[in-house]
Parts: sequence; C-alpha cells; structure tokens
Amino acid sequence: MAVIELKNLTYHYPLSETPALQSIDLEVEEGEFLAIVGANGAGKSTLCYTISGFIPHFFKGELAGSVNVAGMDPTKANLGTCVQKVGLVFQNPFNQISGSKFTVYEEIAFGLENLGVDPQEMRERVDEIIRRTRIADLRDRSPYALSGGQQQRVALASILVMKPQILVLDEPTSQLDPIGSQEVFQVIKEMALQGMTIVMAEHKVEWLAEYADRVLALSAGQIIKLGTPQEVFSSSELPKHGVGISRYTQVARRALQENLWLEGRRMPVTLDESIEGFREIIP
Amino acid sequence: MKLIDSIKRDFNTMTLVMIPVAIAINVVIGQIVSLLKLPVYLDSIGTVLVAAICGPWAGALTGTLSNIIWGLLIDPNAFPWFPVALVIGFVAGWCAVGGLFRAWWKVIIAGILVSLAAAAISSPIQVYLYGGITASGSSFITAFLLQSGRDLMTAVLSTNFLVEPIDKIATCLLAFVSARYLARFPRPENIMGSSSR
Amino acid sequence: MPERMSFFIPRESRIHSLNPLTKLTLAFSLIIIAFFCPGLFLPITINFLVLVPLSFLGKVGKEFIQTSIRLLLPLFAFLFVMQSLFYPGGKTELFGIWIFSVTSEGVVFAFRTATRILVMVSSFLLLLLTTHPSALMSDLARRGVPASLSFIITSTLQIIPQMQAKAATIQDAQRSRGLDTGGNLINRIRSLLPLVGPLVFSSLVDVEERAIAIEARAFTLPVEKTSLVEIPDSPAEAILRWFLAAVAIITIGYRIWLSLSSRI
Ligand SMILES: Nc1ncnc2c1ncn2[C@@H]1O[C@H](COP(=O)(O)OP(=O)(O)OP(=O)(O)O)[C@@H](O)[C@H]1O
Ligand SMILES: [Mg+2]
Repeated sequence: MAVIELKNLTYHYPLSETPALQSIDLEVEEGEFLAIVGANGAGKSTLCYTISGFIPHFFKGELAGSVNVAGMDPTKANLGTCVQKVGLVFQNPFNQISGSKFTVYEEIAFGLENLGVDPQEMRERVDEIIRRTRIADLRDRSPYALSGGQQQRVALASILVMKPQILVLDEPTSQLDPIGSQEVFQVIKEMALQGMTIVMAEHKVEWLAEYADRVLALSAGQIIKLGTPQEVFSSSELPKHGVGISRYTQVARRALQENLWLEGRRMPVTLDESIEGFREIIP
Repeated sequence: MKLIDSIKRDFNTMTLVMIPVAIAINVVIGQIVSLLKLPVYLDSIGTVLVAAICGPWAGALTGTLSNIIWGLLIDPNAFPWFPVALVIGFVAGWCAVGGLFRAWWKVIIAGILVSLAAAAISSPIQVYLYGGITASGSSFITAFLLQSGRDLMTAVLSTNFLVEPIDKIATCLLAFVSARYLARFPRPENIMGSSSR
Repeated sequence: MPERMSFFIPRESRIHSLNPLTKLTLAFSLIIIAFFCPGLFLPITINFLVLVPLSFLGKVGKEFIQTSIRLLLPLFAFLFVMQSLFYPGGKTELFGIWIFSVTSEGVVFAFRTATRILVMVSSFLLLLLTTHPSALMSDLARRGVPASLSFIITSTLQIIPQMQAKAATIQDAQRSRGLDTGGNLINRIRSLLPLVGPLVFSSLVDVEERAIAIEARAFTLPVEKTSLVEIPDSPAEAILRWFLAAVAIITIGYRIWLSLSSRI
C-alpha cells in the first residue's frame, strides 16, 4: 500500500516564476526507504517539505496536482496534524534545538508535551528512544553543549519519540564531521531495518547504494531517474545533471577502459558488487 | 474583533522564534554599548526591528519581555521600566505600518516619535519611583533644571525630551539598516514598500 | 563578558523547594506594602526582618547581600547626593556646601526612595536566587500563562550567552583587522557599526529554520500541553498565597482610603 502518493505535482515558491518542483509523480510503499539525490537547488528540500506538509502550510506559494500522505491530504489537514504523521529532520543540527529546554532529556520530551502526552508515558517513551539512539549518557547535558553529531541524534530522537509513521530526512549528515555522520547513519540504518518508511535526501551515494530500496534523482525540479540504487547510480546520465555517482562505479568505469572489468558486466554501486566484479578478472 | 485580528496577525511561529533573538540583541548590544561608555543606550534595537518587520503588538511584547529578562538576569531595577519598552515597540510598529521605515530620513521621524512616547512614559516612572533621579548622566540636567526653579515633573520631562531623541533615532536607524539584510520576514512591505518583494 | 547570566544558585533549602508562584506572590506583596504603606521605616524593616532572614533560610544569604550591594550601592550614592542637594522645596537646612544646601527634607526623601527600591530589588533577588527561571516559567505555563510566552522567555535565556560569544568573536575579528575600538568617542561609535550589522544578521538568518523545527515538534498543535517536570505545590502554600494577596489588596485599599480622606 502506498503511504506517499504524489500525482502531477507542481510547486512554485511565493513570487517565483520557475517551479521548484514540476510534474512529480511518485509512490512510496509502506516500509520503503526512498533516497532523493540531486545537485544543489534541484528541489530535494522542497520535495521533503511537501511530503511533510510545510509546503504549503509554512512556505505558502502555489501547489498544483494531488498529494496524499499517510492517508490524508496534507494541504487540507493542519500542520499540527501533518507533523504527527510525518517527522522531519534537516541539515543544521543546531537550528533544530527547540531552545526552550535546558537538558537533552527535556528537549526530547518537548514534542510529547506539545502533543499532550501523559507525563508517565512521556518518561517511558523518552527513556526508550534515548536508548535506541544511543544518547542515554547525554540525558542531563545541555543540548547546546553537544557536538554536531550528538545534536543531530538528539534531533532525530526528538522526532522519533513522537512516533511518526513516515520519517523525512533532509541531508541530515551534510553539516557533520565523518564520525558524527557515521553515528547518525547508524541510527537511520536501524530505523530502516526495523521497517520504518523513510524518505531521505542525501549526497553519500555509496551509503545509499547499500541501504536504500529505491533512489529518486532530481534535476531542476523534475524527476530524471527513479529506480533501484543499482539502476540509478550506475546510470551515465547522472553526472550530466551534476549528481555524483558511486565511487565504485567510477573505479569500474576506469577499470573497463584498462580491460580490468568484464565487457557487459553491470556497473557496481557497492563495495561488494565491485569486489565480485574484480574477482572474475583476477582469480 | 478587529483588535484581536490585528494582534493575531503579528504572531506566527516566525515571530515567536524571532522575539527571543531580538531580546538577546537588546541585551547583548546594550551591554556592549554601556561598556563602550557611549552617551546612548541602544538597548532596544531588537525591539524596533521586530516592531518594524513583525508589527506593533509583536514589538510591544518584545520590549516588555526585554525588560523582564534584563531584570531576571542582570538587574531587577529594570522591571518597573517595562511600560517604556512596551511603548517603544508599539509606537515603532505603527510607524512602520504607516510607512516610516521605508527611507532613512523617514526613519529619523520615526525615531523622534518613538522618543517622545518613551519620554512621556518614562518620566512619571522616574518621578514616582526614583524621585526623578536615576544613576545616569542625564540626571545632572534634571538637577540643573530643578535648581533653576522648575518643578520635578517638568524638569524630568524636559530632560527626557532632550536626551531621548538621540538614542531613539540611532536605535531606529540601526534597526532599519539591519532589517534591509533580511530576506524573508512577515511584513516585507513595511521595509521595502509595496511595489517590490 | 564575565557577567553571570542567571542569579539562580542551585542548593537544597526550604526556600528553594517552595513553589515558584509562592515566592513570586511574596515578592509582589512585599513590594506593594513597601510602596503603599505609610511609615518611613517600614521598608527597611521589611528588608532586614523579612527578606534577609529568608535569604539565610534559603542558604543564599551571602550572595543575597553581595548582589544587592553591587546592584544598589552606585544608585543609592547618586540618589543621596542628588536628592539631598537638589530636592525641590527643601526648607530645613542641615548644613551648606559651597552654593548648595543640604536639607533634611531631601535626605528623608532620598531615604524613603532608596529603602523602597531596596525592597523591590531584594524581593526579586530572593526569588531569582532560589528559583530556576525555567521552573518559574513552566509553573506559570501550567497555571494558564500562554505557552508561547514561557517559550520566548526560556529560549531567550539560552540565546543570550550564545550571542555574547558571537559578539566577542566579531569584536576579536575587528581588532585583528586593526579596527580601533578604544580611544575617543568617534572611534568608539565607529567600532559599533560593523558589530551591530553582522550580529543582527547572523542571528536572524536562522529564524526560518528554527521556526520549522519547532513546528515539526507540534508546538502549534491546538491541544492542551502537558509538562514533563512537575513542580511541587501544596494546599498550605496555596493558602499562604491567598493570604499574601489579601494583605497586598488591603494595603492598596488602605492607601486609597487614606488619600481620599486626606483630600476631604
Ligand atoms: N523559500 C524559498 N523561496 C523561493 N525560492 C526558494 C525557496 N527555497 C528554495 N527556493 C528555490 O527552489 C529551488 C529548489 O531549492 P531546494 O532548496 O529544494 O534545493 P535542494 O535540492 O534542497 O538544494 P541543496 O542541495 O542546496 O539543499 C532552488 O532554485 C531555490 O533557489
Ligand atoms: Mg536542501
């Protein structure tokens, strides 16, 4: 069953002549992990905001076509209802701290307070989520006194604790150092393996190739490719639109020129696939 | 109901997150200016900024809460002056609605209007709470006027009408310059005029 | 800037464990009594027989006295000098200095003003030294003060130290580029402009994202909010609050009655 359904969706930001999204058709199944890739300004964030209801509620502008997310039309429901079904985590970890709480524990409970959850249940849910996101040791620290990676896991926990049906992530690691990114990816991976529906804009192609079910490539607000990571990331069209391809694909392309890759064998997008390919040449 | 709509218009989530930033601007710049020992306070740039780009009610709230925060953190002497800060935000907000924040020379007029309102409100507080004298340099002017035979309220009012405009004009101009940098805010027409975005 | 950004001192005491609203009510009642009750020595009595003992009961006596001296001494010095010299309508000359004369009316007036301000500042100090600002705000929010108001105040408390750090960074950068921030008035004013612009701008660019972030946490959902931290309160404290409020109201009433009857 599709939990996200976009039909012929076109969106203009207020006072903008060119559409930020144009004729988007997309269906995402329950439990699927969809990755969004694209160059700067391709419309990745715009698509994330549309799925989570911030377009049109927060950004206004003109939206045409139909949207159905988790059984509701986000353009008709109010934003408070949307965010209960769709959780949004974005780039800058610092800006996602509510600012009104003095400890990590209270920060994570902020969303539950706003939902009117009973304090007893609140504690149970916060305890559980800080364990799953591995931040239990940070519980009494100030959210501002943390590293970027820790803050981003607090941001993730703060959204996950609200038990959204769909998790939307807009380049959650692009402002983190390698270690911070790794910690965040680890949590996302576990969520994906547990069967949560995830939509994630991200640049780290090799990681996506490993864990995403499908990849959507955007350019100038339009879908240029939609398919499995294997289909999308080995495509020769992507670089033309400024989208990075997998390092393993790049190596294999070069290897093909040097006769180190079998003619006609499909291009690898993950480490395993490329090792497999090289095994055939070098026994 | 028109009043409630007018108040509601000022408060969306953007305003809600902008007000704390504006209060912090008031406090931090106010502290720096007092360290630099300049003959002005400049402790309401944030208030005027919010008033101009979010509206008079938001400005009034920013001013009021600034004084409460200043009192909570730095000096409880700030509490009783909150009506002054409130009026600064409110008057600056209506000046902006009336188009006085669209060109620098109009901003000077706004600064004068704001300072008149501020002086009118602060003088009675100064007289009834502090007996007309506060620990600032301008109290020497008050003392001089008293010495030359004015009564207390007249002396305090004249002092404030004399010293407030410099501070408030500078404040409004600085807020105006800062606002031009900001791309998207709730009432762009207050700063940019209705023709442009 | 080494200024400590909150008065609160975390300690275990009878005063700390009182409900914040009780302390707030106490502060307001004492201030009203100090300002509206006649009696020249009433305010100073309140300060030394009520507020100072309470501050020691709250284990913050030393800080209480130090902070009130730091906050009020310059003001009082100024007040006494100016008022005793320039108080309009002073007739009873105590002694004369050069062309000025110190009148007893002026000294009494300065004393009255100073002791009232002392009660005002000290009452709040007692509250602030023994109450975490966020505890005060969440207790008020629980009692019906709009959540957005408590949100604004608590987040301001967190933003100020960050912005101070940012200002210090900008000032350092200016100095390292050779901008003169000391010296004469013109220099000092000139150094201000390149500080205000970047500070305001860099603080406000993030506003949009932060608004999205709190919307994503259902802040504007129109349901009744709950609170993680439960702030202790008791029926005895509620009675105390009503009692204090009643005393304050009676004081105001008495004052109005006095001024009306003196006019007849
Ligand atoms: N609030 C806005 N108002 C007007 N135009 C906008 C707004 N936000 C984005 N745009 C424009 O919409 C287009 C898509 O932007 P979007 O932020 O979705 O791209 P992106 O793929 O997320 O890019 P990035 O990799 O930089 O995050 C861009 O041309 C951008 O300039
Ligand atoms: Mg983006």
